[in-house]
Amino acid sequence: MSRWDLFCRVVDNYGDIGVCWRLARQLASEHHLPVRLWVDDLASFARLCPAVDPLAPVQVVESVEVCRWTDPFPAVDPHAESAAVVIEAFACELPATYIAALARSTPRPVWINLEYLSAEEWVEGCHLGRSPQPDSGLVKTFFFPGFTTRTGGLLKERDLLERRARFNDRAEEAFRSRLGVPLRADGRITVSLFCYENPRLRHWLDVWRESATPIQVFVSPGWGQAEVGRWLGEPFLEGTCVQRGQVSLHALPFLPQSEYDPLLWSCDLNFVRGEDSFVRAQWAERPFVWQAYPQADAAHVVKLQAFLDRYLASDGAKEQPEALETLRVVWRDWNGLEPAPRPGATWGELVHSHRELAKRGKEWAARLDQAGDLANNLVRFVGEQGGLFPQPRQGG
Amino acid sequence: MSVKIAGDVQSGNVLLVDNEPLVVLKREYNKSGRNAAVVKLRAKNLLTGRISETVYKADDKLTGVVLDKKDCTYSYYAAPVHVFVDEEYNQYEINEETLSDIAPFLAPDMTDVCEVTFYEGKPLSVVLPKIIIREVEYTESVARGDTSGKITKSAILKHTKHDMQVSAFVEIGDKIEIDSVTGEFRARVK
Repeated sequence: MSRWDLFCRVVDNYGDIGVCWRLARQLASEHHLPVRLWVDDLASFARLCPAVDPLAPVQVVESVEVCRWTDPFPAVDPHAESAAVVIEAFACELPATYIAALARSTPRPVWINLEYLSAEEWVEGCHLGRSPQPDSGLVKTFFFPGFTTRTGGLLKERDLLERRARFNDRAEEAFRSRLGVPLRADGRITVSLFCYENPRLRHWLDVWRESATPIQVFVSPGWGQAEVGRWLGEPFLEGTCVQRGQVSLHALPFLPQSEYDPLLWSCDLNFVRGEDSFVRAQWAERPFVWQAYPQADAAHVVKLQAFLDRYLASDGAKEQPEALETLRVVWRDWNGLEPAPRPGATWGELVHSHRELAKRGKEWAARLDQAGDLANNLVRFVGEQGGLFPQPRQGG
Repeated sequence: MSVKIAGDVQSGNVLLVDNEPLVVLKREYNKSGRNAAVVKLRAKNLLTGRISETVYKADDKLTGVVLDKKDCTYSYYAAPVHVFVDEEYNQYEINEETLSDIAPFLAPDMTDVCEVTFYEGKPLSVVLPKIIIREVEYTESVARGDTSGKITKSAILKHTKHDMQVSAFVEIGDKIEIDSVTGEFRARVK
């Protein structure tokens, strides 16, 4: 049976391992592939998936063989069967000894560079681009996630939309009780907040304090909680709940991946960042505000604009131009491009147009679904390269 | 051979890809994520003429090729090759398909010094001087009057029988200046 090796370096935050773990799990559980996930930071991984032992060099978690990626890389047994498919996530550099072993293997493996997500048009032209490697003689293929059928699509478990649809009031109540936060109350807006460093957060906290509508904000750990603490002038630690004017702020614990989707589903508006939470927010079918990963030369601004152009211009946009324009103003403000001229009024408009934006969220998710899910597209591509079709397990 | 960083590759550079020399025709540089970048190259295989596209991380190390170049003059055509000769009278045969762009201007009596590019001793391509002079074998006479050069007509070059547009005042037997890159008429030689 042909093994898939997936390599992940945790550079900063949890985006890298978040995406890799979802992909590894999906390949193993939905496509019944033997997957080996190499991770250089098991401690970060364990926060996303508590079943992971951060000290174990090798372990099996949810049918995925998880291996610690150490430096130097463990010696590669020349007689061992090499992987049929190798994925380097986010352009991480594979160990030289591993590449040398790949170059000796027959048949040659399918080598994928899984790239970053972007809505820019050039992505379609580079997706599945061939990349001959001079040193090894191997050929790598660039695989780009994306929002159109000419890209690799987005990660989405087979049952995600079904689970999302099943998340009713009772499920939400159970989730909130589990989380130890207040249950939903009529007339109150619930917001989840997950962000990188962002000087605009305190401006929005000021706005929310004075909001006409009561707001409940669930703040994820990290810079966001620290900044809320600075804004409050008092420690804002996990489990804390503080009321200031119209806003009640709740410091959440670090949620494992399995609990992050219900959080998004139970909120009226989600502030998300980077790649993994950004994608999950889109599948959540709820209005959201994205903070792009800040890059040198303002490269993130181009990416933000490219996504906004797609999101706001797709089918149905004509029906909600004012609501979508309000969303654009908030996104641009949140990413530090242009402060909202009247933030209080803008927030009021956003709350007012919530239903229209939720409709937009549903339409957008349906549109994304047409591009197919990334794991499925990847398996199909590999199959086309040499008959490496997935083999079902016995009885599976 | 030399190491070339993908992000620094420019149009015109020659790279060794899959053990074959490719000249880069177009390069696209795009920022991907976390301050990384992706480079897409459109290149022509100098041995086969085939066009291909490849994608690299901007910090990938590629193999650059420094090609040998030599001044030669055109000697003759013996289907399917054109033969060039260097100062030491060494002869080099180049397939006519490779030279299809300049073939209309390869005349047996030409004295132009051409630049022949070699890869591992094999001649790959020929560049003519930017401006070349050729003789008009036939063109229709037109009524006198226009000397501006804005009105054009068809003319057949001597030897190659290449049909091109020239100014209306050009006559049979005239020598004309041609831009060898664009293939366009520039002026009549006085």
